[in-house]
Amino acid sequence: MPAYMRTMLKIENLTATVGEEDEAKTIINGLDLEVPAGEVHAIMGPNGAGKSTLSYVLTGRDGYEVTGGSATLNGEDILDMDPEERAAKGLFLSFQYPVEIPGVPVMTFVRAAMNAQRKARGEDEISAPDFIKKSRELGQKLKLDAEMLKRPLNVGFSGGEKKRLEIYQMMMLEPKFLILDETDSGLDIDALKTVSDGVNAMRSPDRGMLVITHYQRLLDHIKPDKVHVLAKGRIIATGGPELAHRLEKEGYDGVLGEVA
Amino acid sequence: MTTALRDLISNPNTAELELIARYGMQPEDPRRERLFEAFAQIGLPTRRMEAWKWTDFKAALSALDRPASQSASDPLASEEALCFRFSPDGFEYPKDLPEGINLFVKPEPQALGSAEDVPLGALAAALAGSKTRPGTLMIEVTAADLPRLHFAFSGEGEASFARVTIVVRPGAELTVSESYLGGAGFLSSVFEYSLQGDAKVSRTVYQRGAEMETMAATALVQLEGESEYTQTSLAFGAKLARLETRLVHKEAGAKATMNAAYLVGKGLHADITTHVRHGARSCVTRQMTKGAVLDGGTGVFQGKFHVPRTAGQYTDADMQHKALLLEEGAVVFAKPELEIYADDVECAHGNTCGALDANQLFYMRQRGIPERTARALLTEAFIAEAVETAGDLKDILRHVASNWLAQS
Repeated sequence: MPAYMRTMLKIENLTATVGEEDEAKTIINGLDLEVPAGEVHAIMGPNGAGKSTLSYVLTGRDGYEVTGGSATLNGEDILDMDPEERAAKGLFLSFQYPVEIPGVPVMTFVRAAMNAQRKARGEDEISAPDFIKKSRELGQKLKLDAEMLKRPLNVGFSGGEKKRLEIYQMMMLEPKFLILDETDSGLDIDALKTVSDGVNAMRSPDRGMLVITHYQRLLDHIKPDKVHVLAKGRIIATGGPELAHRLEKEGYDGVLGEVA
Repeated sequence: MTTALRDLISNPNTAELELIARYGMQPEDPRRERLFEAFAQIGLPTRRMEAWKWTDFKAALSALDRPASQSASDPLASEEALCFRFSPDGFEYPKDLPEGINLFVKPEPQALGSAEDVPLGALAAALAGSKTRPGTLMIEVTAADLPRLHFAFSGEGEASFARVTIVVRPGAELTVSESYLGGAGFLSSVFEYSLQGDAKVSRTVYQRGAEMETMAATALVQLEGESEYTQTSLAFGAKLARLETRLVHKEAGAKATMNAAYLVGKGLHADITTHVRHGARSCVTRQMTKGAVLDGGTGVFQGKFHVPRTAGQYTDADMQHKALLLEEGAVVFAKPELEIYADDVECAHGNTCGALDANQLFYMRQRGIPERTARALLTEAFIAEAVETAGDLKDILRHVASNWLAQS
């Protein structure tokens, strides 16, 4: 079977809660989803539908508890893995709000991440010259100058710069599966284009992507193969790119009302 | 005489009796007597004293024993530095000193100002040198561009006492470092720094110790003229380790920077105590202390700025203490104090204590960085600011901190 027909991310009947035991709320509620290698799937949904929760559950953030169902990446159950193990397996989350890491320069950070992932996979560390060369090339492509890459990660960077740095990290780490969480938030048109170009450059027959977004706007730049509508913790509609346009035109209420 | 001293200390424990006996072995000298008396009136400080409430030497030091532990290696040792070595058996000093450094080795003790405020400093001054051969060092510095003076305290034994007096003449500049490497069951040192005119001193203190060792390093600093004093400490703690600095701005325009970092693991205790008296107008003090503590470790920060009514006018002083509790079971005690009587001053202090940011940890782990490494990187970055002032030695301090973090 060719790589592009293989299912990479497979989620079955997933339920998950957020919060402390007594006050835990079910946010993901019987979610099914399959993303094959080589495809880009978009998840759209209204506020509070569980979009960000899904990305955190998949990447293993503390405070998000899986109460049922399964999620596998390339056939491996990822839900029992630590976040860093999932990352080493190739799962990458581009954060809606990239976190400031004071005192740790961008390049130091990415090199630590890259080598930790390599070590976890039993591979050799990247040599300093190779790392610098790769970093420099990507920096030019993403309009990140060398000085920026020496500054502490995300500290004092603008919204657009932070998102470009997410793409920089993504391209440096070359993950197998990307989750983009509201990557378009806080971006102007030019930055949106730079970021989308970066994501599109990552499209490949052996890589899958899940693009989580509120608005259809991003999907004009990153063309999805499929669009899923997430509401109340489940996928309630799936279609082609035209579904995104319908959502934009009719609003979530229109589409949700129809399927409900 | 020793009987009288015994009466002075209420309920002396074995360690205190041994200290009295040790004093009894020293040559008689009225100045030594006064110094020892200053100690004996208090004895080993206990938690009943406000300044020692978190660092109780009497409880921790029951007898002067040789610990099973060995000295740590010295990251600040260097071929280029002039090295003074102290051990429980006494001290050694370089024979060839460059012009601009005058060394006097004195067997008889000199008076110590404010001895009553620093009981362990007074003890160090009374017993400085070896058991049988007392001695203190006095160093006069009259030039700039001198090699660093390095004071290394190591070697196994029951107890080690040292006193060093450094006078830096107007216009002279000195870089000095002190490494406390453990090995002695009990160590007490007292360093006096006197800066005159526009003298400059950069002092770096490194402390490492084991669970069976107690130590106190006391520094008494006097700033005259528009002198500039910069101090950077890195402490890892011991059963008890106290780095205490008492600094007085004596003339207008002096500037002091006193930074410290402490990294404390299980079973260890590190205490950073400072007292700054703004005894002259328009003096500046900047103080940044950062700490990170693991389960079973204790960090202590006590800082005080004293600004008298008239003398302290136009003081500009800032004191910050920030601590990270890296694990459940980590303990940090902090007491920042401003005592201000002057009315036209800028004095500020800040004090925070908390855990590492969960968002930062998750972000790093999502990128593949294991939790321990993430914690180490964040903690290293957190304390880096506090050791930034160590000049050429800052990279060494950061490196040592980073190694410790990677292994804990």
